Amino acid sequence: MSTRRAVIVGGARTPFVRAFAEFLKLDTIALGCAAVRGLIERQNLSHKDLDAIVWGGVILPGLSPNVGREIALDLRLPASVEGMTVTRACASGLQAITTAAAAIERGDADVIIAGGSDSTSNAEIKLPQKVVHAAAPLAFGKATPGDVLGLLAQMMPITEVLPRMPKIAERSTGQVMGEAAEEMARRNEIPRAAQDELAARSHHRAAAAIASGRLAGEVVPVKTGDGKWVHGDTIVRGDTSVEKLAKLRPVFAKDGTLTAGNSTPLTDGASAVLLMSEDKAKALGYTPLARLASWSYVGVDPGDQLLMGPAIAMPKALDRAGKTLGEIDLVDIHEAFAAQVLCVLKMLGSTAFARARLGRDAAVGEVDPARLNVHGGSIAFGHPFGATGARMVTTMANELAATGKRTALLGICAAGGLGAAAVLERV
Amino acid sequence: MSDFLLQLGQNAQARRVIKALGLPVPIPQSLARARGPWEERPLADRTIVLGGLGTGRMAAPLARMLAEAGADPVVIGDGAALAAFQAPGEAFGRPARAAQLGELPADKVHGVVFDASELAEPAALRALYEHFHALAPKLAANGRAVVIGRPTATARGAVEAATRAALEGFVRSLAKELGKRGATAQLLVVDDGAEDRAAGVLRFVLSPRSAFVTAQPIHVSLTAAGKAVTGGVRSLEGKVALVTGAARGIGEATAQLLSAEGAHVVCLDRPDDDALVSKVARDLGGSVLLVDITAADAPAKIAAELKQRHGGVDIVVHNAGVTRDKTIGNMSAEQWEQAVDINLGAVTRITTALLGGVLRDGGRIVCLSSVAGIAGNVGQTNYAASKSGIIGYVEKLAPELAPRGITVNAIAPGFIETRLTAAIPVMIREAGRRLSALGQGGLPQDVGEAICFLSQPAAVGVTGNTLRVCGGALIGA
Repeated sequence: MSTRRAVIVGGARTPFVRAFAEFLKLDTIALGCAAVRGLIERQNLSHKDLDAIVWGGVILPGLSPNVGREIALDLRLPASVEGMTVTRACASGLQAITTAAAAIERGDADVIIAGGSDSTSNAEIKLPQKVVHAAAPLAFGKATPGDVLGLLAQMMPITEVLPRMPKIAERSTGQVMGEAAEEMARRNEIPRAAQDELAARSHHRAAAAIASGRLAGEVVPVKTGDGKWVHGDTIVRGDTSVEKLAKLRPVFAKDGTLTAGNSTPLTDGASAVLLMSEDKAKALGYTPLARLASWSYVGVDPGDQLLMGPAIAMPKALDRAGKTLGEIDLVDIHEAFAAQVLCVLKMLGSTAFARARLGRDAAVGEVDPARLNVHGGSIAFGHPFGATGARMVTTMANELAATGKRTALLGICAAGGLGAAAVLERV
Repeated sequence: MSDFLLQLGQNAQARRVIKALGLPVPIPQSLARARGPWEERPLADRTIVLGGLGTGRMAAPLARMLAEAGADPVVIGDGAALAAFQAPGEAFGRPARAAQLGELPADKVHGVVFDASELAEPAALRALYEHFHALAPKLAANGRAVVIGRPTATARGAVEAATRAALEGFVRSLAKELGKRGATAQLLVVDDGAEDRAAGVLRFVLSPRSAFVTAQPIHVSLTAAGKAVTGGVRSLEGKVALVTGAARGIGEATAQLLSAEGAHVVCLDRPDDDALVSKVARDLGGSVLLVDITAADAPAKIAAELKQRHGGVDIVVHNAGVTRDKTIGNMSAEQWEQAVDINLGAVTRITTALLGGVLRDGGRIVCLSSVAGIAGNVGQTNYAASKSGIIGYVEKLAPELAPRGITVNAIAPGFIETRLTAAIPVMIREAGRRLSALGQGGLPQDVGEAICFLSQPAAVGVTGNTLRVCGGALIGA
């Protein structure tokens, strides 16, 4: 067994902003560059000490999907800084971090920047495959007028060849994620009021963290294409309330409980974490914040309860870290939807669930709201898919270091019925 | 092989015209069938309405099965019966709802289940009437009705036995009424203590995999040794299955279904059918065994092949069969011999050979009988004799092999759309199709699904049974 330990030295992210707004002109690579540049500057990291970039993303640019490498090249980092890109839906960011930690602990590298980014504003609009196939003779050969007519003939009916808007729908079931969360809320009997309460708490805590300056060290300002600077998160609403949220109409089902207020909005942003081997950190004079004690990735049937993955992944990660939920100081769960977080919490607290789904006698445990998402979550900040993992790891690592607490448990749900979890411990 | 009326019925406009003109054309409901191997949740999002659940022992295993299978249970009556549904509902996000008869919307009910296992006197049957009186009209197309009862043999007196026996007549009649809608009705006769095993059987009869099984009593017992298993995907992984007559029709469909559940299938057929059976085996990655099952050395050859190449066998499907139809006066001795020897004699000889250390413990034997063996047919004295012989064979063999966990059952297909039935003269063929509750012929897949179910661990409670796959055929039912 390797005795090398990977440690988290620090993290930084761009402000998270609503899609199709300030960051419209910045694609995922540009956002990634902003976060990585900010992190390198804040940490005063020498370019020549960096071995690699491991990046997570969901909406990858079709012509340059290896975002990690493109960031290194765009930032003029040494050519030796190799790069890779991982994709695991909303868990992509955490995947990048655990991939980096595993590489360091295996001895593949000493210093890695891991993180992720997504620009929903720059999602590519895809031509139907029918058009691509029909147009191939024209694109790759000399077209005769007959070929052109033949192509046109294949384009009927017109509805089959119009470009399709990208949609966050499951490939296997066609179900949109909000509909899946709505179904979970119904099946697990999660009332609207509880969802709005969680959403309001998320905003209030995020606003408080921003006001106190607690997040200032984590967010780096970004210059947009038209020369303006964005200094802070734009989605957080400290002045919202349960009463205000209660007035919103359901968006995914007529008599549903999910609203724009208790769901996460489409967001643009990037975040990055600096990982090193413990020895290298010491040699370079860095003070580590935390390390990953364990992690776990699981899959459940996307046709059943799409977003319940964390309820299985979190207990697995706890087992691997040799901890119980009661021994954990902080819990951070990605808030895709308030309903989904509440479903997962209900499952963790259920003895029947533990017996039938986890094969254990006792419930995993109740999560005290005081320990949960202490500085808000994705509902307040937004959720640039690939960036959320590194945001959570950064905030929790800083929180452990700042408060002297020992452990934090992370949980993330992801498309495809995936669940991810990790246990952070202070070093 | 195409069924004109079934195709016509799939055309909405034609359906409307026939209805508007009041034409006396019975348009059958096209049956919903399963695709691909068994799913983890075969009853996903189906509303199943349950009644009669009191303090009976059926409630707990039933509640667990429904939640795991993805069903949305609705329990008729007060909260008491809901208790068993609490924990499974919470674990699988399928909370049961309590409701009163009459308040349920039509066409949203996919299954109606009544637990009559505690009924002890004829007057108590009124509850059965109330339940189906209210719910049968609301059952959706391709819906499922199931009554759960107890065997007459263990009744505490003649009155209770009469009450229990009444359920069969009820279900057989209900099946005939529901058939027009492609819906089916079954009776599960559950031995005391076999409730856990019944859950797995219920899962099959509530699913689309039982599309052509109706009016069928199924006896669920503790006879065969083994553990109750409710479901599971790829349940035949690591198993070796022998299917005789695998070149075409029911044998081919069965081989494909067993293979899809993970079994290695040894496809057996006559050397003349080499090309066909080889193609079947190749497509599913199975093995070919070319044997004339009536040959004197066939049993030993089959046993040796299975033992040497596969280390034994877990599932044996005796599907190979022939018809040699003639009225008894015109029937030659050779015609008699062929039908009886291939359909019955060879089955017994091969089984005997396999029982000498080739068929493994926990194994499954499924023999093909026929509704002709139950009801008889003009010109089929030989065929019907062989097929009713099969029924006696499985009834006696089942308890003998039960201690080893081996189950033995027969399948009795009715009118199935195959090469055999396509050759029947058109008028007789039409009669065969229409004279059934479902008003149509079945597909080889329907028979295969029933065989495949009986081959699974979940069918441990079913042994010595004859399961008709006949769409509720008027004759023989």
